[in-house]
Amino acid sequence: MDRSEKIGLGVAVVGHVLLFGALSLGLLGAPELPKKIEQQPIDVSLVPDVALEATAPQSVETPAESVAPDEGAPEDAAPPAPEEAEPEPQPDPVPPAPQPKPAPPKPAPKPQPAPEPVAKPQPKPKPAPPKPAAKPAPVAKPVVKPQPKPEKAPPTKSAPAKAAPAKAAPSKATAKPSAAPAKTSSTSGKTSSASSAKPAKPSSTKGSGSTAEAKTSRPRGSRLGDNFLKGLSADPSPSKSEAPKAAKLGAQAAANIGSAILRQVQPCANRQVTPGPGAERIRVTINLKLNRDGTLKSRPTISGHAGVDDDNRRYVDRVDDLAIATFVGCSPLRGLPDDLYDVQNGWSNFSLRYKLPG
Amino acid sequence: MTRSIFSSAAVMAFVFSGTAIAQDASAPAPQQAPADPAAQAAAGDQSGGLVVDVTGGISAPMPIAIPVMPTAAVVSTPAGSTDVLGRQLADIVTNDLRNSGLFTPLSPGQLRPITFPEVTAPGFDYWGSTGAQALVQGFIRANGDGNLTVGCYLYDVSSKAELTRTGFVVPPSDWRRAGHKCADMVYTRLTGEGAYFDSRVVYVSETGPKGRRIKRLAIMDQDGANHRFLTNGQSIVLTPRFAPNQQSIVYMSYLNNRPAIYVYDIGSGKQRLVVANANLTFAPRFSPDGRNILFSMAQGGNTDVYRVSSQGGTPQRLTNSPGIDTGGSYSPDGAKIVFESDRSGGQQIYVMNADGSNQQRISFGGGRYATPVWSPRGDLIAFTKLGGGFRIGIMSPSGGGEKLLTNDWQDEGPSWSPNGRVINFYRSGRGSGGKADLWSVDLTGVNERKIPTPLDGSDPAWGPLRP
Repeated sequence: MDRSEKIGLGVAVVGHVLLFGALSLGLLGAPELPKKIEQQPIDVSLVPDVALEATAPQSVETPAESVAPDEGAPEDAAPPAPEEAEPEPQPDPVPPAPQPKPAPPKPAPKPQPAPEPVAKPQPKPKPAPPKPAAKPAPVAKPVVKPQPKPEKAPPTKSAPAKAAPAKAAPSKATAKPSAAPAKTSSTSGKTSSASSAKPAKPSSTKGSGSTAEAKTSRPRGSRLGDNFLKGLSADPSPSKSEAPKAAKLGAQAAANIGSAILRQVQPCANRQVTPGPGAERIRVTINLKLNRDGTLKSRPTISGHAGVDDDNRRYVDRVDDLAIATFVGCSPLRGLPDDLYDVQNGWSNFSLRYKLPG
Repeated sequence: MTRSIFSSAAVMAFVFSGTAIAQDASAPAPQQAPADPAAQAAAGDQSGGLVVDVTGGISAPMPIAIPVMPTAAVVSTPAGSTDVLGRQLADIVTNDLRNSGLFTPLSPGQLRPITFPEVTAPGFDYWGSTGAQALVQGFIRANGDGNLTVGCYLYDVSSKAELTRTGFVVPPSDWRRAGHKCADMVYTRLTGEGAYFDSRVVYVSETGPKGRRIKRLAIMDQDGANHRFLTNGQSIVLTPRFAPNQQSIVYMSYLNNRPAIYVYDIGSGKQRLVVANANLTFAPRFSPDGRNILFSMAQGGNTDVYRVSSQGGTPQRLTNSPGIDTGGSYSPDGAKIVFESDRSGGQQIYVMNADGSNQQRISFGGGRYATPVWSPRGDLIAFTKLGGGFRIGIMSPSGGGEKLLTNDWQDEGPSWSPNGRVINFYRSGRGSGGKADLWSVDLTGVNERKIPTPLDGSDPAWGPLRP
């Protein structure tokens, strides 16, 4: 240890001592630590109506046909994936439809991952151009190179439907897709990227359903039957790219519709003349059936009264009139969301409860 | 007219029933008419689904349109040409509704005339543009038998719906009654109150200088039309009251300078003495069933309330306290009698059973109370409040809820309309030299109007609704 090192060591030791002393003094004089923040217990209650209520898509549309019409001898058929046996027998899962993200817009029920029917001749959602030849669907390549429009997610969305199944579906859907991509990636990086971006890119190549890769890459038991891609139909596909309607009007949506209705009928309510003292205790409920354009489908009907007593009973008929006039005078309703028209508890059939102020 | 607007604040709520029942939009909604209140309260939610709460309305006269009533063919009748009658009928309905204070009829001159076929198919768009909320249309037709047929239709302009309709076949001499009946139909349907326009008023018509007033019994429609005198004025008449059957009138007359109670038969024009008695009898009034007459009789310095059969007979004494008990008036069910008495020192209102038992004082406010009259609806008693002037007031049969409806120099002699919502009385102005006029006021005290009479008038008595 030379001198400089000793000096350095000494300085370091002194410095540490000073620092220790300084910190010690500082801690002594340090203010008290702030009180620990008291935690107030918070009552948590689960309110089912806060969130949208069962807004899951509940499509009643029939999915696009998964099996092409028989228009000729099959050229090839992809071997069905045994294990993936979909509950629904009919659809012919097209191989490449690893719909990683099946149901697009609708949160809730993920349509079951049913692979989309392969050669859907009528997939109109998007006239999928056959261009994407480059990114062949990972899995089973449809034999024929028909310009099958790749069925993207759309078909899958609409396919499942069914409220009950819809709930269960999601887990399945998510699980399967994840597995599928993995497989595909292993087989071909190209396809994996392609499939993630666009699930159902139809492969222009004539896939050989008999290849091992095809089997492994198939996301979920897409079984291609003998009739796979027998032909393409010129008929438009019944499937739609529209988001399925909500199964039931949620609380928030109901509040919004209620506000919209109230805004329109309030001016007419304010014009009604009270027939006499005591009439303000009467609350009359009328049932309204509307057409989609906001006009009345039928004459409003009285569905109930409340607050009627011996003193104001003579005003009941008149308050009924006022309730009906309140609505009819300001109808047809405008601007109500069309997609919430005929869902359960939608505005195609609702009740209006009217009372005079006071 | 004050136009007070209730809060137009709106309250809304959205309710879902627990059982979300999918509804078929094409299925007719069940028409429910729950009988008991509990069921009624819940009825609104039974359908499930979206429920919108709306609160709104105003307390103001209702704008209403009454266009001239067209006629299918102009025919000359004893009452006049049918097209002229159609115009006058619309005027009658307009005036009746306006006088009720609950309607603001649009000026007929502002309304376009309607055609005969239009009576049953109103142009709601036009009527909506006038601001009217209700529409009264009608027609008049001369029948081959000489009678007139008047049709009356009530529509709600906002909901573009017919609310009710009625037709009347009347002889030409009663054509005005058809107008009153039409107005009654409208009034009843839109207010929920009983009808009262097709009724008559009997009163004491007065004329001449203060010291030599000629007082005659007179009768007229409630709007002042069809006025005629029943007595010739040779003897003073006071306090006339209708019999429930409207065929007779009981009153006090100084015939032959002997004040006594008589019954006047409207059909025959004859009058007969009810109580043959040397004592002073006055303040008569029929019982609701018309079988009895209450009256007061002064005997030995003590005045009490008596009851006698309307056919005559021996009076039955109902009160016997010292002092003046007078002005008896039956409750509509005939079970009780309200009267005034000064047994406590000043005039106050008392109620007793029809047989005179259970006499109880119900007025305890400052001042004195006189001429109590039980409402035909049974829920109120009208009276004259004395103290700082004479004013018309009402209170409940138990004495609560006293409310003074007028505030003039001298208003007295209340008489109820058939529906118990309007009160006739007579008003003497300060320094008027005893002259008086007939007035009416409704229960709000707001709608006060003078009833036109050819001469001065006092002691009005409103008759029942005409059949």
